[in-house]
Amino acid sequence: MSENNKFAYPFLIVAGTLGCLIGLSCVQNSFSLKDFTSRRVDLLADLRVKPQPGQPGTDAANASLAGPDGSDAPGDPSSTPGTIDSTPTSPADSTAMPHPTQDFETYTGIVDDWKTATAVNNVSPGISHFMDALRELKAGKRKKVRIAYFGDSMIEGDLITEDLRDSLQVYFGGEGVGFVPVTSVVASFRTTINHTFSKDWTDYHYKNLPGGNLPLGISGHTFLPSSGSWVKYSPVKKPRLNRFEEVNLFFGPGSGAVTANDRAYTLHGGDAVNTVALQPDSSNGLMLKFNGANPPLYGVSFESPEGVFVDNFSFRGISGIELGRLSRDMLQHLQQEHPYDLIVLQYGANILWKPELTDYSWYERPMTKVLDSLRSDFAQTSFLLISTADKSYRHDDKYVTAPGVPALLKVQHEMAEAHQAAFWNLYRSMGGNGSMTQWVEAEHPLANKDYTHFNRQGAARVGALLYKALLNEYHEDEKQ
Amino acid sequence: MNEVLHNLIYQLQYHKEDPILLNSGFFLYFFVIFMGCYLAAANNKRARVMIYSLFSLYFFYKACGAYVGLVILSAVVDFSLSNWIYRTENKAKKAALMTISVVANLGMLFYFKYTDFFIGMMNDLHLGHFNLLHLMLPIGISFYTFENLSYTIDVYRGEIEPVRDFMDYVFFLSFFPKLMMGPIVRAADFIPQISQPYRLTKEDVGKGMYLIISGLFKKMVISDFINQNYVQYIFDDPSKHVGLECLLGVYAYALVIYCDFSGYSDMALGIARWTGFKIPPNFDSPYQSATITEFWRRWHISLSSWLRDYLYIPLGGNRRGKVRQYVNLALTMLIGGFWHGASWNFIFWGGLHGTALAVDKVRITFLKKQQIVLKGFWAGFWKVTGILITFNFVCFCWIFFKASTFHDSWTIIHQIVYDFEPNVLGTLYDGYKPVFWVMGLAFVLHFLPKTSETWMARRFERMPVAASIAVMAMFLWFIVQVKATQPMMPIYLQF
Repeated sequence: MSENNKFAYPFLIVAGTLGCLIGLSCVQNSFSLKDFTSRRVDLLADLRVKPQPGQPGTDAANASLAGPDGSDAPGDPSSTPGTIDSTPTSPADSTAMPHPTQDFETYTGIVDDWKTATAVNNVSPGISHFMDALRELKAGKRKKVRIAYFGDSMIEGDLITEDLRDSLQVYFGGEGVGFVPVTSVVASFRTTINHTFSKDWTDYHYKNLPGGNLPLGISGHTFLPSSGSWVKYSPVKKPRLNRFEEVNLFFGPGSGAVTANDRAYTLHGGDAVNTVALQPDSSNGLMLKFNGANPPLYGVSFESPEGVFVDNFSFRGISGIELGRLSRDMLQHLQQEHPYDLIVLQYGANILWKPELTDYSWYERPMTKVLDSLRSDFAQTSFLLISTADKSYRHDDKYVTAPGVPALLKVQHEMAEAHQAAFWNLYRSMGGNGSMTQWVEAEHPLANKDYTHFNRQGAARVGALLYKALLNEYHEDEKQ
Repeated sequence: MNEVLHNLIYQLQYHKEDPILLNSGFFLYFFVIFMGCYLAAANNKRARVMIYSLFSLYFFYKACGAYVGLVILSAVVDFSLSNWIYRTENKAKKAALMTISVVANLGMLFYFKYTDFFIGMMNDLHLGHFNLLHLMLPIGISFYTFENLSYTIDVYRGEIEPVRDFMDYVFFLSFFPKLMMGPIVRAADFIPQISQPYRLTKEDVGKGMYLIISGLFKKMVISDFINQNYVQYIFDDPSKHVGLECLLGVYAYALVIYCDFSGYSDMALGIARWTGFKIPPNFDSPYQSATITEFWRRWHISLSSWLRDYLYIPLGGNRRGKVRQYVNLALTMLIGGFWHGASWNFIFWGGLHGTALAVDKVRITFLKKQQIVLKGFWAGFWKVTGILITFNFVCFCWIFFKASTFHDSWTIIHQIVYDFEPNVLGTLYDGYKPVFWVMGLAFVLHFLPKTSETWMARRFERMPVAASIAVMAMFLWFIVQVKATQPMMPIYLQF
């Protein structure tokens, strides 16, 4: 071997490096500098005797995470004057007690502990009213049953609701996509209606509140046209979505005019919610043109004369507390014009912005107020609270269920109990602990790599699970 | 103690969910033990080959389990066929044997990689209903079947003599550094190096270390980081993102795929260099290309040169007239696209590149005819413009390469064209600051001149062993820190 042959060097380098790192692994080598905590290097981790898995600790470098939808910690909108009226007497204050029939933590059906409860303060308990309404529809004793489905980005673009709506309409009848706002950030993503609009609309919403006494519409938006603003809706080539039958335009107080497919309509109304029925051109859709001076506009609903309808009210980045900004006046007028038999609330993604946070009292307080007032505004309507979905975060190189998920779930269930609302455990229904990781990492993924949002396939599965739970409840009640 | 032993045995076995990679912790142990054994056998060629082959086959096993058998099987088949071809005088028989080799290799590749694609196509065309096979793709199969093909065809053409020792051929085929992501090594380049004594100069040691460190840096610090914290969110659900986010996502993906692929190749080259083998580089700063023709001389060089020598030229290359040349180009690129994966997206991607290459050929021919030679300011101007156009065209093609469906590809393009929303730039920057800084750094590094690489390699070359150990250990500690950062959550912009 000659002097110049350095063939031993690579071995020396890698062996020396390995030696250093093993040496480092034998001592606690993590350190902190200001807000940086170094990650422990442990090359022996796979050989060590594993401790019994317990609660994940907090030794991971825990950068403060922004809310997943870019939201800050939600404030308490109820402190804003003029949004929520003085707290009404609500079921939460009543002495009515639930009769637990199912363990909400393990049951994947609709948890309704109010089947035998009597109404307190005229508030309809549990999900019975909705089930009765479906039965009357099936028996031909009523024409329409309507669901308002509120949620965050999890249901954007009609996700989950499109599948739920379709299944319900197949079984109970009905056609049409329900309520669609004037403009939408996910219009191009939605596959249940073709929806285009001009760029010159002014959109007031939860995060860009209108001044004065301009009310927000039910979707959390109010739209003002400029001169020449337009919006076009056309049906899609899918069963039950391929024609427009009953089309109603919803608008706020004021007067103005609209041309729908070149036919002129006068808009005039003094209430917080007014409607005008439009004649659709059933195959080509609907082109609405405005000329600026107009009352605030909310959206358009597409229904058939009979059946079940699901309105999707998605709003990106909210926790549910924002619903407190909807005025009682608007909600009550809407309930007269366009009554709902079931209100579904599905929130969670934006409450879990710190995965290891397990105290949700900051959320429970304002959300309870919001539920109180919604419950009294929609006294005869059934309420269904859907729990947060599973959400994972990276902990020690693996994606695991955030400790916040089960904690938030308990709080959400408590709120459902306190308001005599039915509850559906989505977390458990999708598989419980670790299920989001499975959904993301499946060969055919059901959720996105943010470990929070379902993709279209996953949303379809959730829609199917919810439909199954509702239908089981429907048939369960029939047996009794 | 029992549990430690149990864990050790578990680590040594193949697990589907945890295959070995050049950047996994397990590999460091593997590499140290391998280098120790290899060093012990340094002065005996046969022992060196035996040890390298055994470790390579074990590496294969850790990467894809029982599929290691396919490598051995294809080595047996091609080793025998090539010797047979060499001994055969009769031209027709030679051709028949060569055809057997081609059919066997392509057949194996097709069976594992493309069967489901064609079954799906037949089902879609209602030509019957067949169940998909759902086979797991054997790791590296696209690379070693192509290596087999080039070797047998070279023997058939009389360009090389076949290997006499079966172990040498197994060694060539299973050589672990290039196993997963190439490069596609030519037997003609590699086999003569087997018999060379194991000698390393200081330059080899420094260059090898540079390649390994820069490869790891490209893969783990740039590619994985940008991909995990930004790119995957965009491509997961393009409709949830505005045009600006999508466009930056596409630019970021251009870095991700380049740094992932070339980083891995660099590691392979570095490890090979340290063990006494020189493999030609697979990438040459491709985004510096001023034309698409140049891009393909700098991107995945081992594949494009393979396609040129064993597909484009046999098809007739440019020797059969202009029209045939364009057809050959397009066909070569379509097949090249299909090689990347069994889906229409890849075929379409190949088609786009093939078309662009044909158009570029027209341009080159025109310039030649007119005898236009640019000088001075205009030469510089056209070069910069060319780089911008080429980069953006390549990025446009990446959309189809990366998106899981055509629908997603069109969504990204739709968002960029109709829903650009440039006003969100500030919010976007605040949300993904580290990602954009890493991207900026990556582009700067990419456009550095070659001399910077040589300078860096020279620094490593001059270091004493102890300093090299310190640098390597600190670098790996740094990699662990980067790997462990909490992923940034997507910010879904709306306002």
